Amino acid sequence: MFRPQLASRAVSRRLAGSRAASYSSSTCSRTLLRNPTRVVPPTFSHAKVGWVSRRSHYVDGLSSKYNRAKPHLNIGTIGHVDHGKTTLTAAITKVLAEQGGAMFRDYSEIDKAPEEKARGITINSAHVEYESANRHYGHIDCPGHADYIKNMITGAAQMDGAIIVVSALDGQMPQTREHLLLARQVGVKKLVVFINKIDQVEDEEMLELVDMEMRDLLSTYNFDGENTPIIMGSALAALQGQTPKIGREKILELVKACDEWLEIPPRDLDKPFLLPIEEVFSITGRGTVATGRNERGVCHKGDEVEIVGYGARIKTTLSGIEMFKKELDRGEAGDNMGVLLRGIKREQITRGQVVAAPGTIKSVSKFQAQIYILTKDEGGRYTPFTESYSPQLFVRTADITCKLGWPEGVADAAEKMVMPGDNVEMTCTLRKDVAAEIGTRFTLREGGRTVGTGIITKIIDYA
Amino acid sequence: MFAARRAAQRTFAARLYSTESPKKSLKELVAELRSHADVSPIEAGQALKASDMDVSRALLWLCNFRAESAVKKAAKVEGREANEGMIGTAVLSPGATSAKPSGVRAAMVELNCETDFVARNDLFAQLLDDIAHTAAFMSEPADSDKFFHPFSLDVLRDAPLLSKTAPEKNGKSTVADAMRDLTGRVGEKISLRRVLTVVRDPFPPSQRDIALRIASRVHQSVNNPRQGRVGNLAVLALKSPQLANILGPEAFQADLNKLCLSLGNQIIGFPTTSVRSPTGARDEEGALYDQPFAMFAGEGNDQPVQTFLRNWAAQRGLVESSEQEGGLEVLEFAKWTVAESI
Ligand SMILES: Nc1nc2c(ncn2[C@@H]2O[C@H](COP(=O)(O)OP(=O)(O)O)[C@@H](O)[C@H]2O)c(=O)[nH]1
Ligand SMILES: [Mg+2]
Repeated sequence: MFRPQLASRAVSRRLAGSRAASYSSSTCSRTLLRNPTRVVPPTFSHAKVGWVSRRSHYVDGLSSKYNRAKPHLNIGTIGHVDHGKTTLTAAITKVLAEQGGAMFRDYSEIDKAPEEKARGITINSAHVEYESANRHYGHIDCPGHADYIKNMITGAAQMDGAIIVVSALDGQMPQTREHLLLARQVGVKKLVVFINKIDQVEDEEMLELVDMEMRDLLSTYNFDGENTPIIMGSALAALQGQTPKIGREKILELVKACDEWLEIPPRDLDKPFLLPIEEVFSITGRGTVATGRNERGVCHKGDEVEIVGYGARIKTTLSGIEMFKKELDRGEAGDNMGVLLRGIKREQITRGQVVAAPGTIKSVSKFQAQIYILTKDEGGRYTPFTESYSPQLFVRTADITCKLGWPEGVADAAEKMVMPGDNVEMTCTLRKDVAAEIGTRFTLREGGRTVGTGIITKIIDYA
Repeated sequence: MFAARRAAQRTFAARLYSTESPKKSLKELVAELRSHADVSPIEAGQALKASDMDVSRALLWLCNFRAESAVKKAAKVEGREANEGMIGTAVLSPGATSAKPSGVRAAMVELNCETDFVARNDLFAQLLDDIAHTAAFMSEPADSDKFFHPFSLDVLRDAPLLSKTAPEKNGKSTVADAMRDLTGRVGEKISLRRVLTVVRDPFPPSQRDIALRIASRVHQSVNNPRQGRVGNLAVLALKSPQLANILGPEAFQADLNKLCLSLGNQIIGFPTTSVRSPTGARDEEGALYDQPFAMFAGEGNDQPVQTFLRNWAAQRGLVESSEQEGGLEVLEFAKWTVAESI
């Protein structure tokens, strides 16, 4: 019944959406493979490509060398300059390439850490990918703190785990503290430690001390010091194909430790059902239909659901699911679909709300977030702002005015200024409440241009 | 790992055998040594092994080792680029903060390292704080129209490092030694890029109608509020026949403080290159006085800075009307961003 509407919408969106479409394929492809919902910029919701092309992009737009059936994990190397991050990254690809699990990436290829754009934001980071027997890894190596933070905020390479690289010659250094704090800040819960350059250490007892020291330090920063795997080896030996006992074998041990210790984040498919509402229409004789792209989980015809956001929390039932002109019993993450909502009037719901599995997401009115403010070269603002700046906040399909402020306890809050290019932790007070949770990404816009992008780190007030 | 542990135990047993007094394990000795000195376990282990497991000798050994390894590391990183870091400010005497006549003394320093991880570290912040303090402390008043003067990097490197926060260490090492020491600890090149100072004595009794004031502001600081990726020092002048009476009250000082912060934000937040437009021209982008004072939180922030300052001075009785010259002026400022081209 509501097929014609869906089809014509798709066409009109495709016509309107050429700009958004090219944006998507040039900047988001890497992340789309992993977790499409994480990066969809709000422009998608305005001018969307037909769902057919979106889906094929999701499945085929990637290098076809790898077996995509394996669960995917994003990790990164963090460590001091010179301790061997780049060498280790190259060594991993080399050793795994021998087993057909990677394409060898030379040291010089990775060392450059090319500038790239993610959601319009410039980040320096080198990416490699490889796979073990049971996982597929995306791996980043960045030159600095700011790059890892930008990766987290944009979701370009949200790290699920990290390899801390420490040279056995130096052990921990004062800035190891900053490395561990960074790992915490970007949401990494588990680490694997690689003690490098053991070819240079003759005294085994010394290695034991390094091990002890790292465990102490990990515990100090609330990581599991006792059980974190610590692998000792030589990245250079592995890269040069020498002394396999401390080279190749240790790399394999390291990958195994990552496989066993680092946890795979739940797949979108395994999360509770959530459909951001893009459009609402009523179909005579059948009822009210909400359309959108299923962000996560699976829904079935007949499921109880909740409509959340903009002051609402309405319980209802999915009395029909339709996709690509077909009526279905089931829809899953990534699908563009329409759902028929039992007993709901057209005026009761609106774009910006979500249809979700009951009790799985709440509506929030104030939260704290890590935000990156785009530079003017990235298309952002030219001028600084202070507290109380009120841009438009776009989260999923919602568009809400919000007021920025400093978290409690920030010194000279009234005078503190934010400039384009800054990474800041701020609070957002929303004019209207919206369904959101820790880890939800959003963008800030002003007069039609994106001025900032952020990720929620703490919920302060629920609606 | 177990093999290593067993091997360690074996060597240890052999050592036990050859001495009479019951000895502590390496781990215990390391813990003891670390309670005396801020060293990593691995350094402690090396020190103990090189000193026959004697804690007091190990402490001595560490001192020498640190110095030597710092020299080695510094030589190793010499040719590398240091494009991260912080701008540090030190204001020893801000000038007009009360009715009492007072001079001004301040410095701004750019200290570089290789990664922003190190720039965020407390050891780096402490060194930068001390270097800025040293530069401000050592500067002599200059007799010149200009307020800001570059401070010789060579002189500063050879100067004894003076600390405001840890004066007990004063003079123990030079600035260059302390920088090399930090290289030894963090393994990165640490270099001093530029330093400027501003020093003026109080005006003589014949000129009691004038006072100077330093406004300092930084942006993107981590833990230390005197340091950031952008730093700015500005010299303000206040002129009024009533000056001593006006400067005294706390309310005026609070207003002046707020104004100084806003001016600092304005200079940093906009592409400010000069106080005034070159004569004849109007440079709304680069000239502070022609910019709308957007960074002032409060009424009047749509006015150009110059107009705002005149009104501000008149409202507080520095001048009789805002038509008059004088009152409050920004004389000079310096704005630095880490690793910008100079
Ligand atoms: N002896 C030795 N040198 C190594 C080892 N791994 C890396 N290196 C060397 O350490 C230096 C720094 O390595 P790099 O990977 O660039 O470190 P990064 O700055 O952490 O990326 C290079 O000269 C490497 O060849 C190792 O296992 N043994
Ligand atoms: Mg590297």
